[in-house]
Amino acid sequence: MIAEEPQIDPARVTELTQALETELARLIVGQKELVRDTVIALIGGGHMLLEGVPGLGKTVLVRSLGQALQLKFARIQFTPDLMPADIVGTNVIREDRGKREFQYQAGPLFANLVLADEVNRATPKTQSALLEAMQERTVTVGTETRTLPVPFFVLATQNPIELEGTYPLPEAQLDRFFFKALVPFPDERELLEIARRTTGASIPELKAVAGADEILAAQQVAREVPIAEHVLAYAGKLVTSTHPERTELESVKRYVRFGASPRGLQTLVLASKVRALLEGRYNVAFDDLIAVAHPALRHRIFLQFEAEADDVTADQLIDEILEKTDKAKAGA
Amino acid sequence: MTTLESVVGTLRRSSARSSAARYAVHAFFAGAAWVLLVVIAARLTPLEQWVRVAEYGIPVAFALAAAMWIAGRPSPMKLMRNADLRLGLNERLSTAWERRTADGPLDASLQRDALAHAARARLSSAYPLAVRRRELLLTGAIAVAAAALILLPNPMSAVIAQRHADQTAQRHAAATISTTQKKLAAKPSPPPVDPKVQQILQDTETKVAGAPNPRQALQSITPAEQQLLQLSDPQTPARASTASNLAASLSTTAAGQNASQALNASPAKGAQSIRQLASQLQSLTPEQRAEIAKALANAAQHAQDPQMASTLQQASSALARGDLSAASQSLNSLAGQLESLQQQENSDQEIASAINGLEAARQQLASQADRDAGGSQSTSAGGTSGAGASPSSGPGNGSGNSGSGNNQGTGTGTGNGSGAGNGGTGGVGNSGSGAGSGQGAAGTERVYVPGQPLPSESESDPTPLGPGQDVPMTPLTQVIQQYQQAALDVTGQSLIPGSERDLIRQYFSSLGETAQ
Repeated sequence: MIAEEPQIDPARVTELTQALETELARLIVGQKELVRDTVIALIGGGHMLLEGVPGLGKTVLVRSLGQALQLKFARIQFTPDLMPADIVGTNVIREDRGKREFQYQAGPLFANLVLADEVNRATPKTQSALLEAMQERTVTVGTETRTLPVPFFVLATQNPIELEGTYPLPEAQLDRFFFKALVPFPDERELLEIARRTTGASIPELKAVAGADEILAAQQVAREVPIAEHVLAYAGKLVTSTHPERTELESVKRYVRFGASPRGLQTLVLASKVRALLEGRYNVAFDDLIAVAHPALRHRIFLQFEAEADDVTADQLIDEILEKTDKAKAGA
Repeated sequence: MTTLESVVGTLRRSSARSSAARYAVHAFFAGAAWVLLVVIAARLTPLEQWVRVAEYGIPVAFALAAAMWIAGRPSPMKLMRNADLRLGLNERLSTAWERRTADGPLDASLQRDALAHAARARLSSAYPLAVRRRELLLTGAIAVAAAALILLPNPMSAVIAQRHADQTAQRHAAATISTTQKKLAAKPSPPPVDPKVQQILQDTETKVAGAPNPRQALQSITPAEQQLLQLSDPQTPARASTASNLAASLSTTAAGQNASQALNASPAKGAQSIRQLASQLQSLTPEQRAEIAKALANAAQHAQDPQMASTLQQASSALARGDLSAASQSLNSLAGQLESLQQQENSDQEIASAINGLEAARQQLASQADRDAGGSQSTSAGGTSGAGASPSSGPGNGSGNSGSGNNQGTGTGTGNGSGAGNGGTGGVGNSGSGAGSGQGAAGTERVYVPGQPLPSESESDPTPLGPGQDVPMTPLTQVIQQYQQAALDVTGQSLIPGSERDLIRQYFSSLGETAQ
């Protein structure tokens, strides 16, 4: 069977993603890793969960992404009283020529880029509606199922502080996020640069570098990037090592309750393929897997209470797994 | 660089060079370690072939290293993976190699990219020609240590030399026994005991040759000698004495002169002559018959063998009363007993020869055992025989045949150890079957020890008091045999090593020489 030829040249994907990163960097100070992860998740066709305190530019990032890609952008502020119909849309009665009928009014989910701000503040019912839409890329209102626009990219945020009155996302729903990125507080130099850029007379306007079609084509090309068996075995080994009953690492056995799911491995491989393209390569390397391991796995490793007591994080465990897993022996 | 195959070829050559150097160092290390190990072992245990063992180990180490080098050649995929990791090619080569036959949308781009990066990289640096310095230093240190140990004197060399000497001595001793065995087998008319003697010698030769050391080999000699002695008839000396007395008695008669001379020559000839005498009784004068009857009666009176005494007495009585038929019958019976005596003497001579062979072997083994034990005891026995007139102490046959013929032969078989007793009691020279260092003529000096003379021994000898003593003294010659027998009994019953037993026997043998 001959594989279907990608619609665009892989080199063009590299150029596109690099241009996108460059364009976003014009507006977003620092946060290179966050921008890179966001681009990877977008090209990988997944959704992203951002965790960081308010005011770090999460909304700016999504809005900028919309501008740079000429995609429709929507922002939803999640609150406890937000209902599913508020995000997926609802049927309303409309009178036309004396005749009343239900007409569907689309919710904010019908956009290419959706920012679900403080997603953990909504009730589980609303969260489920969002996550189902993320997974199925369709919404069902009444008896009718409607397809969401493509590309469909949700960027949800949650605040690690002020957890009172929130509804933490359950493990099964966390697993649906392609990446979970941590938004760090900028350093002093970056802080000053933010002040300079945002308090001036004009705010830089981003120019579009690609459209929806190119993003879709890039997603298709990314899936064609080959990965060698031993590299794939290394990815499998990384995921297996997160499981306390399968790992040889004492720390994982002690602190981890559940390891990463198969979806974690899928994410790891797919994200590595995208990163390879971003790096101008046509194959997945160990470095790609290592680079995407944290955002791909950190929300898929569920820790014991003992880890919290000992101040051990999933990132520390991932670091240890990466350090102890021998690349040379992978697939041997 | 045009194809992935050429990349693999370059990497393969680099890998072969690199691993060859590494395995060569491994081989040097293994060879040096082996030599050191063998040298150390040769200093702890006596390894005779340690040089050869060490020499063989070196090519074996290199052969093993070469085999491992060949067996350990990496696959092309392994080469590519290592090159990726070592040259920082980000798995380009390995992925391209794995998908070299695939026809995916990006495979052509992947291959071009991989080859372009391979062309820019120094592929040979993926497998550098380098060895581990620590291993190299360790190999050098081991080699120096091995060389030093080889050059330094090895304490086990003396042990090996001793072992060689032991083996040589055992071989010689076994050869001596074998020679004795062949000589005995070569006799035209072997006595009836010959198969048993041959078997005993054969067994002893096997034991001596197979013993781990001369000391152990010596332990098989004494039991063999005792087995041989058990084959001899204890009555033979008494019968020989009786025959000798008969010859002496007949020599005083005119008709018995021939028989006397024949008896002196040998019991077999004596038997033939006695049969002739029996057949000639009719032709003898009454005076001659009376002389013969008297001589027979005299011989019967001094006979030590009861059976022969009875036969002599019957012949004498028959002649005295004129019953020539009965006398002739008795003389013929006497002739039969003499023929039997001849056979017994032949057997004893064979046994003596066998024992002599064993004693010769014993001497060889004992000398080596003494050298093994320190080499100081080998001369102690010979040193004590200085008082004798003939200090020869070789393993020669007992000089029994040199008896003087007057019932007081001094050349007895008072040999070492097992030969004691035979011939010594009656002083009959020609029956000496004792093995060992039989002495020739005794010296004139007499040695006395405190004690009473034996009732059966030389009553004519004086029993003087010792100087300034009031205890009666006994000539040593009268008790030396008892001493030797007692010593033999004790050594036979106690756990005394063979060489020490031999030493004890030599000591008493030298006492015997001194006494004579």
